Amino acid sequence: MMHVLKIAHAATLPRLAAVAIAGLGLAGCYDNGGDPKIQIGDNPVLPPLQQYLIPPIRIAEVVPWANETPTVPQGLQVQALATGFEHPRSLYVLPNGDVLVVESNGPKAPIHRPKDVVTGWVQWFAGAKGKGGNRITLLRDTNGDGVPDVRTVFLDHLNSPFGVALVGQDLYVANTDAIVRYPYQEGQTSITAPGSKLTDLPGGPIDHHWTKSMVASPDGSKLYVGVGSNSNITENGIQAEYERAAVWEVDRASGAHRIFASGMRNPTGLAWEPETRKLWAIVNERDEIGPDLVPDYLTSVRDGGFYGWPYSYYGQHLDPRVEPQRPDLVATAIKPDYALSSHVAPLGVAMYAGTDLPAGYRGGAFVSEHGSWDRSPFNGYKVVFVPFSGGRPSGPAQDVVTGFLNANHQARGRPVGLAVDRSGGLLIADDLANIVWRVSSNRSERPQDAAESK
Amino acid sequence: MTLHSPSRTTPDRMDLSFSGEAIHPIVVSFPVAYFTAAFVTDLAYWRTADVMWESFSDWLITAGLITAGFAIIVFVIDLVRGKRSRTLAWPHAMGYVLAVLLSLLNAFVHARDGYTAVVPTGLTLSALVVAILLITGWAGRALIARRRQGAHT
Repeated sequence: MMHVLKIAHAATLPRLAAVAIAGLGLAGCYDNGGDPKIQIGDNPVLPPLQQYLIPPIRIAEVVPWANETPTVPQGLQVQALATGFEHPRSLYVLPNGDVLVVESNGPKAPIHRPKDVVTGWVQWFAGAKGKGGNRITLLRDTNGDGVPDVRTVFLDHLNSPFGVALVGQDLYVANTDAIVRYPYQEGQTSITAPGSKLTDLPGGPIDHHWTKSMVASPDGSKLYVGVGSNSNITENGIQAEYERAAVWEVDRASGAHRIFASGMRNPTGLAWEPETRKLWAIVNERDEIGPDLVPDYLTSVRDGGFYGWPYSYYGQHLDPRVEPQRPDLVATAIKPDYALSSHVAPLGVAMYAGTDLPAGYRGGAFVSEHGSWDRSPFNGYKVVFVPFSGGRPSGPAQDVVTGFLNANHQARGRPVGLAVDRSGGLLIADDLANIVWRVSSNRSERPQDAAESK
Repeated sequence: MTLHSPSRTTPDRMDLSFSGEAIHPIVVSFPVAYFTAAFVTDLAYWRTADVMWESFSDWLITAGLITAGFAIIVFVIDLVRGKRSRTLAWPHAMGYVLAVLLSLLNAFVHARDGYTAVVPTGLTLSALVVAILLITGWAGRALIARRRQGAHT
């Protein structure tokens, strides 16, 4: 299999597969995706859906960064904050400036269909099967030179953790199957006290989308948790989707929960918009109906809102793969606020309220795009910035951190979790290269910009 | 080696000596059963939309293709050994090959996610495969019957 995959990366898997079945007269046609720009913003162009004999798979060959770094626009600089992690997926900054790096990967996926065997090979080839540390590492920069000089294992023996939230002295970790609370004192570099479970979350045995993103409400009384679907499009049965594809609101005192919003296939990141104090989410949409379907999105999350999955996408566009349909729900489906274009896989969002980066970034959203695996040409593999004004996106997304793919379309890294550190730098977890990158203003290069942001 | 080497000129003889007979007809019955069962589970999925049936169909078609692969290997071995089947003739073999090719296509259709993995294309292909297997089986029997008649007169 390794040999086949090695050949496949040169030709790309779908082309190889197409050649393999061409002799049978069954060759599928693979349309290349169009310009992603027409699918960015509040009114994405949606082509008709198509279904495949063999869904396109296009994964990038993995190569090391060597001594290179991602690329940033003039006026910014990027450096590796720390390296050598075990699949860093999300980041959290404590009030004293300590950075928590959540090292995690999904639980072993069960094989329910012959297709699951193939999926496993594809993920392994894409470098997505790297062992997760199931722990949280703490980084501290005591002398303020931008280089962490303390590195400790903050919490160990977790179960596919992703979201982290601190409220007062309670530190919450969203494992894939439960929210666990730990006592935390400011300045602590490791927690050995046993955690106590606040509530169960939908976990195994399938656990298709395993990450549980989490933020606390501004008043600290609630936790909001993004729970992804248990399938691409209900192929594991609608029963497996109970309370999934939703944003949960968990009461911090009792652990009781309600569904705050539903129909969001995989809400991998949650953030509070700083101006209106509304909850926003990034959502990964469905696969296998075309290179330009369905755009992943960034949206405000309305209380009680239904966002379509699985029955429809982008409002009332029906998905014929779901049976039985629910016209009653589809009629209420909300069209998301802002499309990010198809298959970019947004896995991190950070609303920028810091002051280090140029003023243009103030109040907008950084979104990390892990990158496509089923679209040609590749889409994503970068961190973009969506400007906001009056609490709403106000313009096209700008590329901020690029170069995760090199000129030969090989992947050197893939951006995941984002966070803004205490001095206003943007932190990016790279789960392919096992690095945490830090983007900050390069004041020596653009002194006028530093003046501007005063 | 066997003591009584069977003659290849008498296709209707009742010789059950294993080493002397073609083995592939035994193996061929496996893909036939798997593909037929997949049609039944496809029907169940079409009516119930319960994914359990779709999973059954997936595995049954896959098992059918694997056992069909074995059957082809065994058929080639039989050819090399110079053993001809009492029941398999060339039109017959063509029917089986067509059924296997359509089932391969069907495996890809069944790999889709959700209801359209079966309805309507997957179900149609499964039905077509069963129809081809039935026609092939009937044609094979008719062929043998004619040969037997020819042998007796």
